[in-house]
Amino acid sequence: MDSQSISSATDSKEPTDPSDVQDDWQVLSPVAILYFAASVFKHLFSNVIYLIPAIAVSYKSVLEHPFIWLPAILGALAVLTLFAFLSFKVYRYRLSEDNIEIRSGIFSKKHLNLPFSRVQNVKIEQPIYYRFTGHACLQLDTAGSAKNEAKLVAIKLDFAQQLKTRIQSQVQNDAIDSNQNNMSADSSEIHSESVNSQAQHEIVLNRRNLSDLVIHGITSNRIWIFLGGLAPFYNNIFDSVGEWLTKLGIDLTELFSLKTHSLLEVAMYAFSLTMLIMFVLVSFSVIGAIVSFYGYTLSKLDDKYIRRSGLLTKHEVSMGLSRLQMVIQKQDWLDVLLKRINLTFEQSNAFANNLNTSASSSKIIVPSIKPHECQTLIDDAYPDNALNALVCEDGFNPISKGFILRNILLVLMPLWLITTSVTLMNDKIIISTMLSVAFVVLSGLVVLRWKRWGIAKDKNFVYLRKGLIGVDYYCFPTYKLQQTQFKQNLLMKKRQLATVKFVLASGSLKVPMIKQNLAYQLIDEGLYQVETSQRSWM
Amino acid sequence: MLESTFSNLRVPIDQLPTILQLEKQSLSEKYAPLNRLLNLGFTLVVCVIGLALYFQPFVDLPKGLLNFLPFVIWAAAILGLLLTWLSHARDQVKSYTLRELDLHYTSGLFFRKVVSQPITRIQHIELKRGPIERKAGLATLQVFSAGGAMHTFEIPGLPIDTAQQLRQFILQHKDVVKHG
Repeated sequence: MDSQSISSATDSKEPTDPSDVQDDWQVLSPVAILYFAASVFKHLFSNVIYLIPAIAVSYKSVLEHPFIWLPAILGALAVLTLFAFLSFKVYRYRLSEDNIEIRSGIFSKKHLNLPFSRVQNVKIEQPIYYRFTGHACLQLDTAGSAKNEAKLVAIKLDFAQQLKTRIQSQVQNDAIDSNQNNMSADSSEIHSESVNSQAQHEIVLNRRNLSDLVIHGITSNRIWIFLGGLAPFYNNIFDSVGEWLTKLGIDLTELFSLKTHSLLEVAMYAFSLTMLIMFVLVSFSVIGAIVSFYGYTLSKLDDKYIRRSGLLTKHEVSMGLSRLQMVIQKQDWLDVLLKRINLTFEQSNAFANNLNTSASSSKIIVPSIKPHECQTLIDDAYPDNALNALVCEDGFNPISKGFILRNILLVLMPLWLITTSVTLMNDKIIISTMLSVAFVVLSGLVVLRWKRWGIAKDKNFVYLRKGLIGVDYYCFPTYKLQQTQFKQNLLMKKRQLATVKFVLASGSLKVPMIKQNLAYQLIDEGLYQVETSQRSWM
Repeated sequence: MLESTFSNLRVPIDQLPTILQLEKQSLSEKYAPLNRLLNLGFTLVVCVIGLALYFQPFVDLPKGLLNFLPFVIWAAAILGLLLTWLSHARDQVKSYTLRELDLHYTSGLFFRKVVSQPITRIQHIELKRGPIERKAGLATLQVFSAGGAMHTFEIPGLPIDTAQQLRQFILQHKDVVKHG
């Protein structure tokens, strides 16, 4: 094949030493065709999801006309292959000493020129079909928009690794230059130290075994999302399951009829059936967790965190410590019972706002770790933080009890009054009692929510606690603030309360109804720290 | 290597500059009346369209709609006037403050809100001027930080000269020059 010969020629030319300057345009390895095909397919498939209801409705009539849909699918496949092949043919990249150029696009040509010093984040991704040939994708994120990212689609894995270290050292050198211009002595010292120790090997901070991932699968709430997504198909699913069971000789209506069985038996059946369904769903969630976090390692190279994980597609995400905006320690209700914590290292979400799955997003998640491991990791990132002490001594400032009053009196109470009075007028006593029970439960949840809210600060950090049944802790260095907002309505003003919103590069955090003086203090001190520290948020 | 002019003494908390005492600058005098005019005009247009629909001889409307339409027009007119009055009252309390190192924007009648933007965190600035704003010599100053598009700091209704001065001040600010 023609393309084969060209690419093999360039493959052999590919220098092993990445510091060599390559002046001519490079062609990808032909494995890239697979990648392009997969990405087009993925793109199509994500749109096809919206078509599923339409297809499901006309399912029968479609099946009756194979002479229409068979050529259609074949044609689509042919177009896809052609498209993938063309994408591969037009894709060229060129590396020079300090920037990368990529030319791509069949109809709309794209020429991307990215200086290495502008690279925010380097990700290496290895889809399963690349594993046999030892290729990988190298993704370079910039601080700009998600559209501006560069992706080298099929290069050798070791070349990708070399390129990555080279780009990152370039970024670091750049940081030193600017720091020396600033004459901030100590930080540049640290940086040059870290460059000197560049050859230092990685330290593995954390690994996750299969059992941890199983726990993560059980505790993460993906089941409910899955259930919600299936909601429109419940009828069909139950029908087909019923049919299937009848075929197996199990009659559901007979099984659950109170004429032939005692109440206890029926209850047992119902219970075991629910357990069975729950088990299936939980195993889905566990599989999901294993697929995205299999072989999880979190390691540290100088001041950089590197996360590697994935069963099918291996992801590698790295984040410089200075890019870290906020650490979040999350515990759902099941996590609280099992004493596990999900720790997240958040960085700027400027390039992460395209809805990524948990495995490929640029934040670093450490799933289901034990509290002491979590504490070591947080202390490693922020040595002088006091989160643990605050949690133990409950040093958080609570929010006003007015929060309970507002939500129950102004939101829940009117709803409850209206609905119960309507149902009572129509003599639906059972429904109105159910509504009352719901009202009481929701009021209880409001109280719980109030109890969880809390805020604390010390010299360098702001800590926030919130949650409902589970509890989440947020901790960020005060100088990372981007903007602050102070909010107060007339009622709150009368009671000297205010709401504060902290805007960070990774998102915003709000704490409602704290004392007005504390709110002013938080904002004034926050602004003061941002403006005096002279440290960059990146 | 420490810069000689650099100092970072610990400031007692009660001596920090506080956003409680901001010297507020009001927006351009033209801004509130202009907004009121626009709102009134919009209400008028909606009502006129409703009336035209009611009285037009070309298409026969369903009877239900025809009975219903006058109420809709009345409601639109009353609601429009009410909202105009409300937004006028809101426009009059909008203000901004420029301090040495940060920008603040205060707004809200019942729900008071103070947004504070440190200048050192500013990524870029935009002056936005629609056709009506151009006619009136007004401009909207938009300040972008890494906080995302949801948290764009915006001061509307500035006289164009003030807006340009503000922009110049921010662009030449030592913090922006250093970090931008």
